[in-house]
Amino acid sequence: MGQVSQTLDTEHRAALDVLGRLEQALARRNRAPEGDTQFTALASALVRLIEHDTGAHFDFEERELFPRLVDAGEADIAALLSEEHDAIREAAAELLPLARAMATGTLADGDFDAFKRGVMEIVERQVSHIQKETMALLPMLDDLLDDDTDRELSMAYASA
Amino acid sequence: MKRGGGAFLAGATSRLLPMSIPFRFFGAAIVFHLLAWLALLAGSSRLPRFAGGLDWPLAALHLVTLGVLVMTALGASLQLLPVATRQPVRSTRWPAAIWAVYTPGVAAVALGMGLGRPRWLGAGAVAVTLALLAWAALMAANLRGARGMPAVVMHGWAALGALAVMLVSALALAALYLGLPLLDRSTALALHIAFAAYGFMGLLAMGLSYILVPMFALSATPDERQAIASCALTVAALGLAALAAFGIAALPLRLAALALGASAVALHLHLMLAALRTGLRRALGRSFTLVRIGWTGLAASLLLALGVALDIDAASTSTLWVLVCIGGWLLSFLLGMLQRILPFLASMHVSRSGRRPPTPSALSAQRPLALHFAAHLAALAGLALAIVADSPALAALAAAVGTLGAVALAAFFLALWRRMHARPPKAPSAKPPVA
Repeated sequence: MGQVSQTLDTEHRAALDVLGRLEQALARRNRAPEGDTQFTALASALVRLIEHDTGAHFDFEERELFPRLVDAGEADIAALLSEEHDAIREAAAELLPLARAMATGTLADGDFDAFKRGVMEIVERQVSHIQKETMALLPMLDDLLDDDTDRELSMAYASA
Repeated sequence: MKRGGGAFLAGATSRLLPMSIPFRFFGAAIVFHLLAWLALLAGSSRLPRFAGGLDWPLAALHLVTLGVLVMTALGASLQLLPVATRQPVRSTRWPAAIWAVYTPGVAAVALGMGLGRPRWLGAGAVAVTLALLAWAALMAANLRGARGMPAVVMHGWAALGALAVMLVSALALAALYLGLPLLDRSTALALHIAFAAYGFMGLLAMGLSYILVPMFALSATPDERQAIASCALTVAALGLAALAAFGIAALPLRLAALALGASAVALHLHLMLAALRTGLRRALGRSFTLVRIGWTGLAASLLLALGVALDIDAASTSTLWVLVCIGGWLLSFLLGMLQRILPFLASMHVSRSGRRPPTPSALSAQRPLALHFAAHLAALAGLALAIVADSPALAALAAAVGTLGAVALAAFFLALWRRMHARPPKAPSAKPPVA
């Protein structure tokens, strides 16, 4: 696995870890937990995840990788992944203010259902998207990127 | 880490059949599932000691095998194989025509069996045979040009070979009811049972598992060499079972076939459990509990087959084998997969319409699935008890519970269809996705 694939895979695993823990934590909650520092920390991790994924991760893939997929004759998978990025961005934009409020302990009681609903939607969309990227995009990168390009892109992404 | 699922997903949108094609197979399977339980209810007084012959228990069995299992496998293979083997969808007319011939054929077979009308049975058998031959031609064309996934392709070819034996033996059995002795009944029956359950359906189920399980669990593709070895062992086991069916060293060859079959199953389950254990997605919900129960049924069916081969308590053991193999393994496994595939395919179709697509769980009604899960397991357990205790009353109760589960599954399918066509899509549920 090349450096770019490795980096994306590591980020996917980190995302799945945060999302899995959030899903479990919310599964049996019907109201906002008070004074639960572990849950607050999870909400903070979610905020970082949304900001990073909808920012650097998605932008990098769309700018550097999807055009290469199109050039390689795999426009369908690039279009499918781009469409999922848009849906995740849209759902994340709705969730982010609620996640920030949850992370700072300022979420109104009446907003908890919307927060939970938003988290569950993000969990499902992200899991499904990561499934597709891990199974379709990452293996293709080994064919699409030569060693020099792989190294350059990896360094550019790390320093962005 | 090799992830062969890329071959499955890449180009997936351009290789999707029109939604109406796979969904007509899946919808028919849901309807036949309900009819199967009703047929079993009608024949429940004879079920615990059923020993064959044209009657409702036999109709119920074929409503499950042809109506649910094969119907689902046809729909799934027509959709999944072109994507998995990186082949274009060659035709949409042929799948539609196959459905149009196959569906009334299954109905005629079931009615012919249930009402004791050999001519209806014969006409239905001919229609089913023609439809399956047309499907086999489509599959063969696809497998010939396949790129990648050699284990899946090998399972496909082996399943087509088993289909040929299954069809010949089925026609021979139907012909006997019409007074045309083409093959000795016990030989035809032994061939039909082995090649339908472990051959055609078993090989298709195991082959498609190498696509579906890693995809849903987000795991590496199972080791191709071991998967191919499992397929080869299954084919060898079927070969020995065929020789035994013709009376050649029947008991030793049946025991050897079972030993090879058990090795194949052990290898297959080892690969499947490793995929689930190492997958990035561990919580796969109720549908995969059904899949695991199905795998348990597969292993248990081999033990019961040993009992049948050794003639241990013959009447109840053979009936129990049918229940565990067809109901416990194949039906549980396929219904579990169907509950996963339907919302997944539905969300991919809806996502092509340009709107923010609904999630698969937003398309899934969870309460009917929960009810189906409980009713399915209770019905299977009830039928097992009814067979062991030789209790028609318990068989009737279990069939009624199974009918309730089938109604719940139909409600799930209708809700999915309604939500797919809803504008705008319904807001996603706050409940975690458990399907």
